[in-house]
Amino acid sequence: MKHVQTLNTRKLQNTVKKGGCCTSCGNQTEQCK
Amino acid sequence: MIHQYQNNGYNIVLDVNSGAIHVVDELMYEVIGLYEVHSPEEIRALLADKYEAAEIDEALSEIDELIESKELFTPDEYEGYIEELGKNRPTVVKALCLHIAHDCNLACKYCFAEEGEYHGKRELMSYEVGKAALDFLVANSGNRRNLEVDFFGGEPTLNFQVVKDLVAYGRNLEKEHDKKFRFTLTTNGVLLNDDIMEFANREMDNVVLSIDGRPEVHNFMRPFPNGSGSYDLVVPKYKKFADSRDQQRYYVRGTFTHHNLDFAEDVLHLADLGFKQISVEPVVAPESADYAIREEDLPRLYEEYDKLAQEMIKRHKNGEDFNFFHFMIDLEGGPCVAKRLSGCGSGTEYLAVTPWGDLYPCHQFVGNEEFLLGNVYEGVKRDDIVADFKSCNVYSKEKCKNCFARFYCSGGCAANSYNFHGSIHDAYDIGCALQKKRVECAIMIKAALAQED
Repeated sequence: MKHVQTLNTRKLQNTVKKGGCCTSCGNQTEQCK
Repeated sequence: MIHQYQNNGYNIVLDVNSGAIHVVDELMYEVIGLYEVHSPEEIRALLADKYEAAEIDEALSEIDELIESKELFTPDEYEGYIEELGKNRPTVVKALCLHIAHDCNLACKYCFAEEGEYHGKRELMSYEVGKAALDFLVANSGNRRNLEVDFFGGEPTLNFQVVKDLVAYGRNLEKEHDKKFRFTLTTNGVLLNDDIMEFANREMDNVVLSIDGRPEVHNFMRPFPNGSGSYDLVVPKYKKFADSRDQQRYYVRGTFTHHNLDFAEDVLHLADLGFKQISVEPVVAPESADYAIREEDLPRLYEEYDKLAQEMIKRHKNGEDFNFFHFMIDLEGGPCVAKRLSGCGSGTEYLAVTPWGDLYPCHQFVGNEEFLLGNVYEGVKRDDIVADFKSCNVYSKEKCKNCFARFYCSGGCAANSYNFHGSIHDAYDIGCALQKKRVECAIMIKAALAQED
Protein backbone atom coordinates (compact mmCIF):
# COMPACT_ATOMS: atom_id res chain seq x y z
CA MET A 1 0.00 0.00 0.00
CA LYS A 2 1.20 3.46 -0.84
CA HIS A 3 -0.05 5.29 2.24
CA VAL A 4 0.10 2.54 4.88
CA GLN A 5 2.77 0.34 6.43
CA THR A 6 1.24 -2.39 8.61
CA LEU A 7 3.64 -3.56 11.31
CA ASN A 8 2.06 -6.90 12.19
CA THR A 9 0.23 -9.74 10.49
CA ARG A 10 -1.24 -11.56 13.49
CA LYS A 11 -4.88 -10.70 14.14
CA LEU A 12 -6.34 -10.98 17.62
CA GLN A 13 -9.61 -12.38 16.27
CA ASN A 14 -7.67 -15.38 14.97
CA THR A 15 -6.74 -16.33 18.55
CA VAL A 16 -10.37 -16.87 19.56
CA LYS A 17 -10.77 -20.32 18.08
CA LYS A 18 -7.71 -22.02 19.52
CA GLY A 19 -7.10 -19.62 22.42
CA GLY A 20 -8.81 -19.63 25.79
CA CYS A 21 -7.22 -22.90 26.81
CA CYS A 22 -1.16 -19.25 30.15
CA THR A 23 -0.68 -15.53 35.64
CA SER A 24 0.42 -11.98 34.90
CA CYS A 25 0.93 -8.69 36.69
CA GLY A 26 1.09 -8.49 27.09
CA ASN A 27 4.08 -10.42 26.01
CA GLN A 28 3.77 -14.11 26.60
CA THR A 29 2.38 -16.47 24.03
CA GLU A 30 2.29 -22.96 23.40
CA GLN A 31 -1.28 -23.25 22.15
CA CYS A 32 -1.16 -19.91 20.37
CA LYS A 33 2.38 -20.00 19.04
CA MET B 1 -12.66 1.06 17.02
CA ILE B 2 -9.37 2.72 16.22
CA HIS B 3 -6.90 4.83 18.17
CA GLN B 4 -4.74 7.22 16.19
CA TYR B 5 -1.93 9.34 17.57
CA GLN B 6 1.29 11.04 16.55
CA ASN B 7 4.53 10.43 18.39
CA ASN B 8 8.15 11.19 17.52
CA GLY B 9 7.23 12.00 13.92
CA TYR B 10 5.19 8.84 13.34
CA ASN B 11 1.49 8.78 12.43
CA ILE B 12 0.19 5.65 14.09
CA VAL B 13 -3.21 3.98 13.79
CA LEU B 14 -4.08 1.11 16.12
CA ASP B 15 -7.01 -1.03 15.06
CA VAL B 16 -8.04 -1.95 18.58
CA ASN B 17 -10.00 -5.17 18.06
CA SER B 18 -7.65 -6.83 15.58
CA GLY B 19 -4.46 -5.48 17.14
CA ALA B 20 -3.25 -4.32 13.71
CA ILE B 21 -0.78 -1.43 13.87
CA HIS B 22 -0.50 0.87 10.86
CA VAL B 23 2.08 3.58 10.29
CA VAL B 24 0.54 5.98 7.78
CA ASP B 25 1.38 9.18 5.92
CA GLU B 26 -0.19 12.58 6.67
CA LEU B 27 -2.92 12.18 4.06
CA MET B 28 -4.01 8.78 5.32
CA TYR B 29 -3.88 9.97 8.93
CA GLU B 30 -6.32 12.76 8.13
CA VAL B 31 -8.62 10.61 5.99
CA ILE B 32 -8.85 7.90 8.66
CA GLY B 33 -9.72 10.58 11.21
CA LEU B 34 -12.66 11.70 9.06
CA TYR B 35 -13.75 8.31 7.75
CA GLU B 36 -16.30 7.28 10.37
CA VAL B 37 -18.28 10.52 10.43
CA HIS B 38 -18.03 11.80 6.85
CA SER B 39 -18.96 10.43 3.44
CA PRO B 40 -16.26 10.09 0.75
CA GLU B 41 -17.67 13.21 -0.95
CA GLU B 42 -17.42 15.21 2.27
CA ILE B 43 -13.85 13.97 2.87
CA ARG B 44 -12.82 15.04 -0.64
CA ALA B 45 -14.32 18.49 -0.03
CA LEU B 46 -12.79 18.87 3.44
CA LEU B 47 -9.28 18.01 2.22
CA ALA B 48 -9.51 19.57 -1.25
CA ASP B 49 -7.21 22.47 -0.40
CA LYS B 50 -4.43 20.13 0.80
CA TYR B 51 -4.53 17.05 -1.43
CA GLU B 52 -5.41 16.06 -5.00
CA ALA B 53 -8.74 14.24 -5.42
CA ALA B 54 -6.94 11.24 -6.93
CA GLU B 55 -4.72 10.94 -3.85
CA ILE B 56 -7.71 11.08 -1.53
CA ASP B 57 -9.47 8.40 -3.56
CA GLU B 58 -6.35 6.26 -3.36
CA ALA B 59 -6.38 6.56 0.45
CA LEU B 60 -10.10 5.77 0.60
CA SER B 61 -9.51 2.69 -1.51
CA GLU B 62 -6.74 1.49 0.81
CA ILE B 63 -9.01 2.02 3.82
CA ASP B 64 -11.69 -0.13 2.17
CA GLU B 65 -9.08 -2.81 1.56
CA LEU B 66 -8.00 -2.78 5.23
CA ILE B 67 -11.61 -2.95 6.42
CA GLU B 68 -12.21 -5.89 4.08
CA SER B 69 -9.21 -7.74 5.53
CA LYS B 70 -10.42 -6.94 9.08
CA GLU B 71 -7.44 -4.78 9.97
CA LEU B 72 -9.22 -1.44 10.35
CA PHE B 73 -12.44 -0.40 12.11
CA THR B 74 -12.81 -4.03 13.18
CA PRO B 75 -15.87 -4.48 15.42
CA ASP B 76 -15.61 -5.79 18.99
CA GLU B 77 -17.16 -9.25 19.03
CA TYR B 78 -15.51 -10.54 22.19
CA GLU B 79 -17.81 -9.56 25.05
CA GLY B 80 -20.12 -12.58 24.82
CA TYR B 81 -17.14 -14.84 24.21
CA ILE B 82 -15.44 -13.80 27.44
CA GLU B 83 -18.64 -14.17 29.46
CA GLU B 84 -19.19 -17.70 28.13
CA LEU B 85 -15.58 -18.61 28.75
CA GLY B 86 -15.84 -17.39 32.34
CA LYS B 87 -18.90 -19.55 32.96
CA ASN B 88 -17.65 -22.69 31.26
CA ARG B 89 -13.95 -22.86 32.06
CA PRO B 90 -13.01 -24.24 35.47
CA THR B 91 -10.12 -22.34 37.00
CA VAL B 92 -7.20 -23.99 38.73
CA VAL B 93 -4.57 -22.48 40.99
CA LYS B 94 -1.47 -21.83 38.88
CA ALA B 95 0.72 -19.73 41.14
CA LEU B 96 1.35 -18.85 44.76
CA CYS B 97 3.10 -15.86 46.24
CA LEU B 98 4.72 -17.12 49.44
CA HIS B 99 5.29 -14.44 52.04
CA ILE B 100 8.40 -16.07 53.39
CA ALA B 101 9.06 -13.19 55.77
CA HIS B 102 6.81 -10.49 57.12
CA ASP B 103 9.88 -8.62 58.16
CA CYS B 104 12.43 -6.42 56.44
CA ASN B 105 15.88 -4.96 57.00
CA LEU B 106 15.09 -1.75 55.10
CA ALA B 107 12.56 0.97 55.88
CA CYS B 108 11.43 2.00 52.40
CA LYS B 109 9.08 4.96 52.63
CA TYR B 110 6.63 3.81 49.96
CA CYS B 111 6.36 0.14 50.97
CA PHE B 112 2.76 -1.10 50.76
CA ALA B 113 3.83 -3.85 53.16
CA GLU B 114 4.80 -1.28 55.82
CA GLU B 115 8.39 -2.45 56.41
CA GLY B 116 7.29 -5.97 55.60
CA GLU B 117 4.67 -6.27 58.32
CA TYR B 118 1.56 -5.96 56.12
CA HIS B 119 -0.45 -4.11 58.76
CA GLY B 120 0.24 -6.94 61.23
CA LYS B 121 3.08 -8.51 63.15
CA ARG B 122 6.61 -9.45 62.16
CA GLU B 123 6.75 -13.15 61.42
CA LEU B 124 8.71 -15.67 59.35
CA MET B 125 7.05 -18.52 57.45
CA SER B 126 7.89 -21.92 58.91
CA TYR B 127 8.91 -24.86 56.75
CA GLU B 128 5.70 -26.63 57.78
CA VAL B 129 3.47 -23.80 56.54
CA GLY B 130 5.47 -23.59 53.31
CA LYS B 131 5.13 -27.33 52.73
CA ALA B 132 1.38 -27.12 53.29
CA ALA B 133 1.24 -24.26 50.77
CA LEU B 134 3.02 -26.30 48.09
CA ASP B 135 0.76 -29.27 48.85
CA PHE B 136 -2.26 -26.96 48.49
CA LEU B 137 -0.95 -25.72 45.13
CA VAL B 138 -0.42 -29.23 43.77
CA ALA B 139 -3.83 -30.38 45.03
CA ASN B 140 -5.65 -27.40 43.48
CA SER B 141 -3.82 -27.23 40.17
CA GLY B 142 -5.86 -29.89 38.37
CA ASN B 143 -4.11 -31.30 35.32
CA ARG B 144 -1.90 -28.28 34.92
CA ARG B 145 1.76 -29.25 34.93
CA ASN B 146 3.58 -25.89 35.14
CA LEU B 147 3.23 -24.22 38.52
CA GLU B 148 4.78 -21.06 39.84
CA VAL B 149 5.96 -20.10 43.31
CA ASP B 150 7.22 -16.61 44.11
CA PHE B 151 9.34 -16.15 47.23
CA PHE B 152 8.27 -12.75 48.42
CA GLY B 153 8.15 -10.63 51.54
CA GLY B 154 9.00 -8.50 53.35
CA GLU B 155 12.49 -9.64 52.60
CA PRO B 156 12.70 -13.38 51.84
CA THR B 157 16.46 -13.63 52.37
CA LEU B 158 15.78 -13.08 56.10
CA ASN B 159 14.39 -16.63 56.03
CA PHE B 160 16.48 -18.17 53.29
CA GLN B 161 16.99 -21.61 54.79
CA VAL B 162 13.22 -22.12 54.53
CA VAL B 163 13.39 -20.98 50.88
CA LYS B 164 16.05 -23.62 50.21
CA ASP B 165 14.12 -26.32 52.04
CA LEU B 166 10.90 -25.50 50.19
CA VAL B 167 12.63 -25.64 46.81
CA ALA B 168 13.95 -29.09 47.72
CA TYR B 169 10.47 -30.14 48.83
CA GLY B 170 9.02 -28.79 45.59
CA ARG B 171 11.51 -30.76 43.50
CA ASN B 172 10.34 -33.94 45.24
CA LEU B 173 6.70 -33.04 44.57
CA GLU B 174 7.57 -32.62 40.88
CA LYS B 175 8.56 -36.27 40.64
CA GLU B 176 5.60 -37.55 42.64
CA HIS B 177 2.92 -35.57 40.82
CA ASP B 178 4.41 -34.91 37.36
CA LYS B 179 4.55 -31.16 37.98
CA LYS B 180 7.14 -28.53 37.10
CA PHE B 181 7.78 -25.68 39.51
CA ARG B 182 9.02 -22.32 38.35
CA PHE B 183 10.51 -20.56 41.37
CA THR B 184 11.23 -16.84 41.60
CA LEU B 185 12.77 -14.55 44.22
CA THR B 186 12.29 -10.85 44.98
CA THR B 187 14.94 -9.22 47.16
CA ASN B 188 16.21 -5.85 48.38
CA GLY B 189 19.78 -7.11 48.02
CA VAL B 190 20.99 -6.35 51.54
CA LEU B 191 21.78 -9.96 52.45
CA LEU B 192 22.75 -11.16 48.97
CA ASN B 193 25.92 -13.24 49.06
CA ASP B 194 27.63 -15.84 46.90
CA ASP B 195 25.69 -18.67 48.51
CA ILE B 196 22.30 -17.08 47.77
CA MET B 197 23.34 -16.12 44.24
CA GLU B 198 24.59 -19.62 43.43
CA PHE B 199 21.41 -21.16 44.80
CA ALA B 200 19.24 -18.69 42.88
CA ASN B 201 21.16 -19.27 39.65
CA ARG B 202 20.54 -22.98 40.04
CA GLU B 203 16.91 -22.90 41.15
CA MET B 204 15.23 -19.55 40.42
CA ASP B 205 13.75 -18.95 36.98
CA ASN B 206 13.70 -15.26 37.70
CA VAL B 207 14.93 -12.85 40.34
CA VAL B 208 13.78 -9.30 41.00
CA LEU B 209 16.35 -6.94 42.47
CA SER B 210 14.94 -3.79 44.02
CA ILE B 211 16.75 -0.55 43.17
CA ASP B 212 15.25 2.83 42.31
CA GLY B 213 17.96 4.35 40.13
CA ARG B 214 20.35 7.18 40.92
CA PRO B 215 22.03 6.99 44.36
CA GLU B 216 20.26 10.04 45.79
CA VAL B 217 16.86 8.80 44.56
CA HIS B 218 17.39 5.27 45.84
CA ASN B 219 18.76 6.30 49.22
CA PHE B 220 15.99 8.85 49.80
CA MET B 221 13.24 6.24 49.50
CA ARG B 222 15.09 3.04 50.47
CA PRO B 223 17.04 3.73 53.68
CA PHE B 224 17.99 1.39 56.48
CA PRO B 225 15.96 1.87 59.68
CA ASN B 226 18.79 4.12 60.97
CA GLY B 227 18.31 6.42 57.97
CA SER B 228 21.47 5.54 56.05
CA GLY B 229 21.21 4.66 52.36
CA SER B 230 21.43 1.17 50.86
CA TYR B 231 22.62 2.01 47.31
CA ASP B 232 26.35 1.47 47.83
CA LEU B 233 25.75 -1.89 49.48
CA VAL B 234 23.40 -3.40 46.89
CA VAL B 235 24.71 -2.12 43.54
CA PRO B 236 27.95 -4.16 43.40
CA LYS B 237 26.01 -7.28 44.41
CA TYR B 238 23.36 -6.69 41.76
CA LYS B 239 25.96 -6.18 39.04
CA LYS B 240 27.67 -9.42 39.98
CA PHE B 241 24.32 -11.24 40.20
CA ALA B 242 23.08 -9.98 36.82
CA ASP B 243 26.35 -10.91 35.12
CA SER B 244 26.30 -14.34 36.74
CA ARG B 245 22.89 -14.88 35.08
CA ASP B 246 24.25 -13.73 31.69
CA GLN B 247 22.10 -10.59 31.95
CA GLN B 248 18.96 -12.71 31.59
CA ARG B 249 16.15 -14.04 33.80
CA TYR B 250 16.18 -11.10 36.19
CA TYR B 251 14.90 -7.55 36.56
CA VAL B 252 16.33 -4.63 38.41
CA ARG B 253 13.09 -3.09 39.56
CA GLY B 254 12.57 0.43 40.86
CA THR B 255 9.76 2.71 41.89
CA PHE B 256 9.50 6.36 40.90
CA THR B 257 7.55 8.88 42.94
CA HIS B 258 6.51 12.53 42.95
CA HIS B 259 10.06 13.26 44.13
CA ASN B 260 11.72 11.99 40.93
CA LEU B 261 9.39 12.83 38.09
CA ASP B 262 12.51 12.81 35.88
CA PHE B 263 12.54 9.02 36.26
CA ALA B 264 13.93 8.44 32.75
CA GLU B 265 17.25 9.51 34.26
CA ASP B 266 16.94 6.66 36.75
CA VAL B 267 16.19 4.12 34.02
CA LEU B 268 19.19 5.32 32.02
CA HIS B 269 21.36 5.31 35.15
CA LEU B 270 20.53 1.62 35.61
CA ALA B 271 21.27 0.97 31.94
CA ASP B 272 24.58 2.82 32.27
CA LEU B 273 25.47 0.56 35.20
CA GLY B 274 25.23 -2.31 32.71
CA PHE B 275 21.81 -3.75 33.57
CA LYS B 276 19.88 -5.09 30.58
CA GLN B 277 16.53 -6.01 32.18
CA ILE B 278 15.01 -2.93 33.79
CA SER B 279 11.68 -1.94 35.26
CA VAL B 280 11.04 1.41 36.90
CA GLU B 281 7.38 1.85 37.81
CA PRO B 282 5.14 4.58 39.21
CA VAL B 283 4.42 4.43 42.92
CA VAL B 284 0.81 3.73 43.87
CA ALA B 285 0.11 5.57 47.08
CA PRO B 286 -2.70 7.37 48.92
CA GLU B 287 -3.19 10.93 47.69
CA SER B 288 -2.17 12.17 51.13
CA ALA B 289 1.39 10.82 50.79
CA ASP B 290 3.97 13.47 49.88
CA TYR B 291 5.55 11.08 47.37
CA ALA B 292 2.27 10.13 45.63
CA ILE B 293 1.90 10.71 41.89
CA ARG B 294 -0.73 13.40 41.29
CA GLU B 295 -2.85 14.22 38.29
CA GLU B 296 -0.88 17.41 37.71
CA ASP B 297 2.29 15.28 37.40
CA LEU B 298 0.98 13.47 34.32
CA PRO B 299 2.17 15.88 31.57
CA ARG B 300 5.69 15.73 32.98
CA LEU B 301 5.59 11.95 33.19
CA TYR B 302 4.37 11.72 29.58
CA GLU B 303 7.41 13.76 28.55
CA GLU B 304 9.67 11.39 30.45
CA TYR B 305 8.21 8.31 28.77
CA ASP B 306 8.68 10.01 25.38
CA LYS B 307 12.25 10.91 26.26
CA LEU B 308 12.98 7.36 27.39
CA ALA B 309 11.45 5.84 24.24
CA GLN B 310 13.54 8.09 22.01
CA GLU B 311 16.71 7.29 23.94
CA MET B 312 16.00 3.55 23.66
CA ILE B 313 15.70 3.87 19.88
CA LYS B 314 19.00 5.76 19.81
CA ARG B 315 20.73 3.16 21.95
CA HIS B 316 19.32 0.37 19.78
CA LYS B 317 21.03 1.93 16.78
CA ASN B 318 24.30 1.98 18.74
CA GLY B 319 23.96 -1.64 19.85
CA GLU B 320 23.34 -0.60 23.47
CA ASP B 321 19.87 -2.12 23.85
CA PHE B 322 18.18 -2.82 27.14
CA ASN B 323 14.68 -4.04 27.94
CA PHE B 324 12.25 -1.76 29.73
CA PHE B 325 9.48 -3.87 31.25
CA HIS B 326 6.64 -1.45 30.56
CA PHE B 327 7.61 -0.99 26.91
CA MET B 328 7.71 -4.72 26.20
CA ILE B 329 5.05 -5.50 23.66
CA ASP B 330 4.85 -8.37 21.20
CA LEU B 331 2.94 -7.39 18.08
CA GLU B 332 3.26 -10.77 16.38
CA GLY B 333 2.64 -12.91 19.46
CA GLY B 334 1.47 -12.30 22.98
CA PRO B 335 -1.49 -13.88 24.72
CA CYS B 336 -4.78 -14.83 23.09
CA VAL B 337 -7.84 -12.59 23.35
CA ALA B 338 -9.23 -14.62 26.25
CA LYS B 339 -6.16 -14.00 28.39
CA ARG B 340 -5.86 -10.35 27.36
CA LEU B 341 -9.41 -9.59 28.44
CA SER B 342 -9.49 -11.72 31.58
CA GLY B 343 -6.78 -9.96 33.57
CA CYS B 344 -4.01 -11.11 35.83
CA GLY B 345 -5.54 -14.15 37.53
CA SER B 346 -5.49 -12.75 41.06
CA GLY B 347 -8.04 -14.30 43.40
CA THR B 348 -8.56 -17.31 41.17
CA GLU B 349 -5.37 -18.60 39.54
CA TYR B 350 -2.93 -16.71 41.72
CA LEU B 351 -3.06 -16.48 45.51
CA ALA B 352 -0.84 -15.05 48.23
CA VAL B 353 0.06 -16.99 51.38
CA THR B 354 0.91 -15.30 54.69
CA PRO B 355 3.64 -16.65 57.00
CA TRP B 356 0.93 -18.41 59.02
CA GLY B 357 -0.80 -19.92 55.98
CA ASP B 358 -3.73 -17.59 55.31
CA LEU B 359 -4.77 -17.15 51.67
CA TYR B 360 -5.46 -13.80 49.98
CA PRO B 361 -6.27 -12.88 46.35
CA CYS B 362 -2.78 -11.42 45.87
CA HIS B 363 0.07 -9.89 47.82
CA GLN B 364 -1.52 -6.44 47.63
CA PHE B 365 -4.60 -7.61 49.56
CA VAL B 366 -2.68 -9.28 52.39
CA GLY B 367 -3.67 -7.82 55.74
CA ASN B 368 -7.13 -6.73 54.58
CA GLU B 369 -9.39 -9.17 56.43
CA GLU B 370 -12.27 -8.49 54.02
CA PHE B 371 -10.30 -10.48 51.45
CA LEU B 372 -9.21 -13.40 53.62
CA LEU B 373 -10.08 -16.41 51.45
CA GLY B 374 -9.13 -19.32 53.71
CA ASN B 375 -5.87 -21.05 54.54
CA VAL B 376 -3.50 -23.63 53.13
CA TYR B 377 -4.77 -26.37 55.45
CA GLU B 378 -8.51 -26.05 54.85
CA GLY B 379 -8.40 -24.46 51.40
CA VAL B 380 -10.49 -21.62 50.01
CA LYS B 381 -13.65 -21.02 52.03
CA ARG B 382 -14.82 -17.76 50.48
CA ASP B 383 -16.06 -18.91 47.10
CA ASP B 384 -18.05 -15.66 46.86
CA ILE B 385 -14.84 -13.61 46.77
CA VAL B 386 -13.28 -15.96 44.22
CA ALA B 387 -16.40 -15.67 42.05
CA ASP B 388 -16.17 -11.88 42.22
CA PHE B 389 -12.55 -11.97 41.03
CA LYS B 390 -13.45 -14.48 38.32
CA SER B 391 -16.15 -12.17 37.00
CA CYS B 392 -13.65 -9.32 36.88
CA ASN B 393 -12.68 -8.67 33.27
CA VAL B 394 -12.36 -5.78 30.86
CA TYR B 395 -16.10 -5.80 30.14
CA SER B 396 -17.05 -5.68 33.82
CA LYS B 397 -15.39 -2.26 34.07
CA GLU B 398 -17.07 0.76 32.49
CA LYS B 399 -13.76 2.59 32.13
CA CYS B 400 -12.12 -0.31 30.32
CA LYS B 401 -14.67 -1.67 27.89
CA ASN B 402 -14.14 1.13 25.35
CA CYS B 403 -10.50 1.91 26.12
CA PHE B 404 -8.01 1.56 23.26
CA ALA B 405 -5.43 -0.03 25.57
CA ARG B 406 -7.65 -2.81 26.87
CA PHE B 407 -5.86 -5.60 24.99
CA TYR B 408 -2.50 -4.54 26.40
CA CYS B 409 -3.58 -3.65 29.94
CA SER B 410 -6.24 -6.30 30.61
CA GLY B 411 -8.19 -4.04 32.94
CA GLY B 412 -5.49 -2.99 35.35
CA CYS B 413 -4.80 -3.97 38.94
CA ALA B 414 -7.70 -5.12 41.12
CA ALA B 415 -5.94 -3.98 44.29
CA ASN B 416 -5.30 -0.48 42.96
CA SER B 417 -8.93 -0.27 41.86
CA TYR B 418 -10.11 -1.36 45.30
CA ASN B 419 -7.78 1.00 47.14
CA PHE B 420 -8.93 4.05 45.17
CA HIS B 421 -12.57 3.25 44.45
CA GLY B 422 -13.62 0.57 46.94
CA SER B 423 -14.37 -1.92 44.16
CA ILE B 424 -12.29 -4.35 42.14
CA HIS B 425 -14.54 -3.60 39.14
CA ASP B 426 -13.21 -0.09 38.63
CA ALA B 427 -9.81 1.26 37.55
CA TYR B 428 -7.15 3.47 39.14
CA ASP B 429 -7.23 6.57 36.97
CA ILE B 430 -3.62 7.75 37.18
CA GLY B 431 -2.48 4.20 36.49
CA CYS B 432 -4.74 4.12 33.41
CA ALA B 433 -3.36 7.39 32.07
CA LEU B 434 0.23 6.20 32.42
CA GLN B 435 -0.55 2.78 30.97
CA LYS B 436 -2.07 4.36 27.85
CA LYS B 437 0.99 6.54 27.39
CA ARG B 438 3.30 3.54 27.77
CA VAL B 439 1.36 1.56 25.15
CA GLU B 440 1.67 4.48 22.73
CA CYS B 441 5.42 4.72 23.35
CA ALA B 442 5.95 0.96 23.05
CA ILE B 443 4.16 0.88 19.68
CA MET B 444 6.10 3.92 18.48
CA ILE B 445 9.38 2.15 19.29
CA LYS B 446 8.21 -0.79 17.16
CA ALA B 447 7.40 1.62 14.33
CA ALA B 448 10.83 3.21 14.56
CA LEU B 449 12.62 -0.14 14.59
CA ALA B 450 10.51 -1.39 11.66
CA GLN B 451 11.50 1.67 9.65
CA GLU B 452 15.14 1.02 10.47
CA ASP B 453 14.92 -2.58 9.28
